[in-house]
Amino acid sequence: MFNLVAQSVLSGIGIGAVYGLIGIGFCVIYNASGIVNFAQGAFVMLGGMLTNVGMIKLGLPLPLAAIGAIAIVAMLGVVLERIVVRPLWNRGSTMFVMILATLAAQIVVERITQIMAGDQPRTLPVFTDLPPLRLFGFAINFQFLWILGCSALVIILLGLFFSSTKTGKAMRACSINRDAAALQGIRVSRMLALAFALSAALGAFAGILITPTQYTAFNVGVPFAISGFIAAIVGGFGRPLGAFAGGILLGVAQALAIVLLGAAFKNVAALSILLLFLFVRPTGLLGPAK
Amino acid sequence: MKSIATPTRILEIEGLSARYGHVEALRPVDLHVDEGELVAVLGPNGAGKSTLMNAIMGLVPTQGQVKFRGRAVPRRAPAAAAGLGIVLVPEGRGIFAPMTVAENLELGAYLLNDKHEYARRTARVLAMFPRLKERLAQTAGSLSGGEQQMLAVGRALMSEPKILLLDEPSLGLAPRIIDEILQKLGELNRQGLSIILVEQKAPLVLKLANRAYLLSVGSIAAEIDPRTIKSHDELVQYYLG
Ligand SMILES: Nc1ncnc2c1ncn2[C@@H]1O[C@H](COP(=O)(O)OP(=O)(O)OP(=O)(O)O)[C@@H](O)[C@H]1O
Ligand SMILES: [Mg+2]
Repeated sequence: MFNLVAQSVLSGIGIGAVYGLIGIGFCVIYNASGIVNFAQGAFVMLGGMLTNVGMIKLGLPLPLAAIGAIAIVAMLGVVLERIVVRPLWNRGSTMFVMILATLAAQIVVERITQIMAGDQPRTLPVFTDLPPLRLFGFAINFQFLWILGCSALVIILLGLFFSSTKTGKAMRACSINRDAAALQGIRVSRMLALAFALSAALGAFAGILITPTQYTAFNVGVPFAISGFIAAIVGGFGRPLGAFAGGILLGVAQALAIVLLGAAFKNVAALSILLLFLFVRPTGLLGPAK
Repeated sequence: MKSIATPTRILEIEGLSARYGHVEALRPVDLHVDEGELVAVLGPNGAGKSTLMNAIMGLVPTQGQVKFRGRAVPRRAPAAAAGLGIVLVPEGRGIFAPMTVAENLELGAYLLNDKHEYARRTARVLAMFPRLKERLAQTAGSLSGGEQQMLAVGRALMSEPKILLLDEPSLGLAPRIIDEILQKLGELNRQGLSIILVEQKAPLVLKLANRAYLLSVGSIAAEIDPRTIKSHDELVQYYLG
């Protein structure tokens, strides 16, 4: 029993890291614009789907297909910003309208994917095709290590980007005070487009990491978006590291609920955590973003 | 025939107006700044001084024209205006409080891509405001009000503006700090920098200014030659009349 619980905690950490990456995607766009982008799930879904298409239809090796998919999804992020968000933004629409528009975009992308790729689930090969490592009596599969290693790398790179590059600092400046940033010569709309590209790439990457352990299909986006959204709230919306910690917390709680209470309790656990934080600690693990 | 003494216009504003919804906060105004001038904009609360500054930068929707050295300044594009060398220190300073003093200065030079020039400008700004030097690694939000205003001015200078706009830099500061900041602005002006200085406390700036505009309910009520203002009372008459 102990072993089973420990094993499921491990797998919870793996999927939680993926939720965390998606949650960071929410934070990046939220910080740049104040918008909660519910099309985030579409990026996750497209990451897995496009990589699958690249491998099967174009015969590309996995790394190339993955890089191609991330690049395409990043561009789609910019397209979303240009054709959905910016026109509303320029017209001075309320946040609520822009958030609804991203939800609509999510549905459109989902339907287009269904029409073009069908509704059959697809998957990706594991990145390293070896039997699981045996460590202290636990089975650790290589995809778990890939997920942890890649998320850690992404977080370090993002941290460096925001703390050490001029563009990263300019993005932070925009999130602190948009007008003051513009007065320094920073093109705020360009930073917004960049935030969408970055966030879309993060989502796609998360989708590629998780697909080998599950499957992907046109409709996997929304559940992932909801999990990433909860991760972001648990972390204190707008705090990337908090979102990552929140994702892990959520993943572990879900895994424990499944093993201890049954699969039906997976979503109960997720929503309980959401409600718990909303009531008891609405500022999240790390406190308010600003 | 053109006389040698004809000053050249650095900023020329024609029929510039701005509204917030139904409120016309700025009626069409005309004003200009000559190269090297320090022009004060005076007026009571709500006169539209900040709106005028924001309108020049294109932070708010406007009608009318702003010309910088004869070229039209694009509207609704504050970053482009900054690129031309028109730099505003906004009301409330607009510093990036969670970021460090050094990062704030760096963002002031956002459009600069030359390491040596960057080092030179930083040294110049820190020489002007030595107090910032000791606090480079501190977050800007942890500075005192006066230091924050120095940072706001220093950050603006990092872009080496052609014309510097300041919106009530004295707001909420002790008289001694205000004097220090105004003295630096006077120095910059004597070195050739064109400046628009918005103030409510007229006596503070009339000593420095070459000319002054008096704004009242969104319009220019008067253009003042500071040399002709003998006393504060005389100015008060403008406000009342
Ligand atoms: N964002 C806004 N929305 C609506 N009305 C505004 C807005 N900003 C300013 N106003 C209005 O426009 C008018 C001019 O305001 P502005 O801030 O330009 O005045 P000001 O001269 O800078 O005043 P102060 O000395 O208090 O800073 C005021 O009546 C003000 O209420
Ligand atoms: Mg004002």
